[in-house]
Amino acid sequence: MASRVFISLALAAVTLLSGCSMFRSYDTELQATNQQLASGNVDGALTLLEKNNSSDDKDLLYYFEKGELLRAKGDLAGSQAAWHRADLAVYKWEEAVKFDTERYLSQFGSFLVNDKVRRYEGYDYEKVMLTTQMALNLLAVNDFDGARTEIKKTHEREAVIAELRDKEYLKRENEAERQGVATQFKDLRGYPVESLDAPDVVGLKNSYQSAFSHYLAGFVYEALGEKDLAAPGYRKAAELRPNTPLLEQALLDLDASAVAADESDVLIVVQSGLAPARDSIRLPLPIPIDGHWVITPLSFPVIKPDTSTATFAQIGVDGRQQNLTALNSTTAMSRRALRDDMPGIILRTTVRAISRGVTQKNLNQTNPMAGLVLGIASAVTEGADTRTWRTLPDMTQVARLRLKHGEHQVSLPNALGGTLVTVKAEQRHQVITLRVVGNQVFASNPAQAVASLKQP
Amino acid sequence: MLARFSFLAVVAVLASGCANTSPVIGGKNISYGDTKAVELVTNEFGSTDLQMIAESMTRSLAQSGILQGRPVVQVYDVKNKTSEYIDTREITTSIKTQLMKTGTARFASDNTDMQSQVDQLKLQNQSGLYKKSTVSKTGNMIAAKYRLEGSISSIVKRSADYKDVFYKFSLQLVDVESGLAEWMDEKEIRKTTER
Repeated sequence: MASRVFISLALAAVTLLSGCSMFRSYDTELQATNQQLASGNVDGALTLLEKNNSSDDKDLLYYFEKGELLRAKGDLAGSQAAWHRADLAVYKWEEAVKFDTERYLSQFGSFLVNDKVRRYEGYDYEKVMLTTQMALNLLAVNDFDGARTEIKKTHEREAVIAELRDKEYLKRENEAERQGVATQFKDLRGYPVESLDAPDVVGLKNSYQSAFSHYLAGFVYEALGEKDLAAPGYRKAAELRPNTPLLEQALLDLDASAVAADESDVLIVVQSGLAPARDSIRLPLPIPIDGHWVITPLSFPVIKPDTSTATFAQIGVDGRQQNLTALNSTTAMSRRALRDDMPGIILRTTVRAISRGVTQKNLNQTNPMAGLVLGIASAVTEGADTRTWRTLPDMTQVARLRLKHGEHQVSLPNALGGTLVTVKAEQRHQVITLRVVGNQVFASNPAQAVASLKQP
Repeated sequence: MLARFSFLAVVAVLASGCANTSPVIGGKNISYGDTKAVELVTNEFGSTDLQMIAESMTRSLAQSGILQGRPVVQVYDVKNKTSEYIDTREITTSIKTQLMKTGTARFASDNTDMQSQVDQLKLQNQSGLYKKSTVSKTGNMIAAKYRLEGSISSIVKRSADYKDVFYKFSLQLVDVESGLAEWMDEKEIRKTTER
């Protein structure tokens, strides 16, 4: 009787926990939010986001998503305010890492806590893209000085991340050796290994450095007359994306003639699609429990690319087609982040499964019912972490051209509804950003995009 | 006698009180560091490199004997040929400041200051806002006799255990009229980190 009550209580606790925010299905929530965004109902998307984050204690992800949605709405001040909150959270993370790297690494490497239960601290590429997106918001209102601050922050953040990851990977290798876990992601039977081994993933130098971010840095420094800083921006971008004529040309043009008084050096930035989702996949893996190899199902994350938006390689400017150069793919960066994290995920998941297996075996011998409850609880709580910044644009493509001062028509391909956006070139250097989701086009600066209408 | 001692004692106490610095608020783990201390936080370009280059170049240029009679020099951008975000203008500003402080040379408006200089002259002469006797006249700007220009480049090598960075900074002083390089020097820095 007592054991029956115990089981009921335990099952009730498990059910309650599964409803807890720690066990929320982020993928489901954001699928609905992104559907609203793709249909052009940004207010609907914002309402959903607020509904799913009703607690007062908002996390980094909430501010990431809110900033991007408000940006699509054209509320740049609101977007910056949300992203400032996100930036503060990242800044605190950065300070914690700089202050005591060892302590941070030992906390993060804890084998007891499931990844999805941790407070979300963002992937490295998200931290880098945050300040890049903030710079784009400022550039939409021609605030090059403000954008310079965000860009400088990006370089400093990249340096912190690079040093941390160097130490982390070394520590992880030693730990895996100590724990006797030799499994690699290529050994996971049934795992879509090819997605993490794709050339665009392996070809990246790391998961967090973006060629677009560095190219934008180059453009901003050049606009501010700081050629000594513009050059490394273009050079770094060219190193990250070799054989890209646009990047090599930017470096060559740095010493070329200045922009004429009646024209603008315009950088058109087209950000399309949405960041990929993370899903959880269960795979059987042999793990050593009390000297015996036991096949145990373990959960691992997989990347699910977004398919909401058609790909395109050209835009029209005043009726003439201009080629776009792709400088950033969030899908590739996300896959690379997972590829780099996989050894750590495998190590933590395996060690946790071993300790759980041993506990369950001991319980089975003394109290079989309690062992069963632990098994059920494990089945509910175990799962890969599926949280990730989902409204972040997937592809970032650019075209750079000289335009005479005045209004110009930018047209998007028919596959995207053939939207026409009227932009005004008036500054010596100018950045025009267009955001495409589904067949919706959002211009970040309502003043820049004088009119936005669908072609008949 | 006693009065004299007492007076001296009071003066000493007062003087020691004068020497007391302003009160410090808070600051458990915060301290001011020596700006000249050697910085070895990472092997990227840092404050010590900037100071080393500026000092070495200033000394070399001042001792070269080329800067006779405080000539006018125009400072150009130092080309950054590395992949690192090095603000080379800070190096030339340090060189410029040190040469200016010793009175060795005078400096014409450089690329970055020129626009502000032209704008100010236009404002004074064309706006009609200023008293005529105080207006700076156009056509009196002093042209540079020399231009100072240079570059910084780096070679980075990595292995599993080491990262080696080699920086080379070169600077030259060119006579604007003749086009001849009258002075040239370079500073090399090597930084190695073991992981």
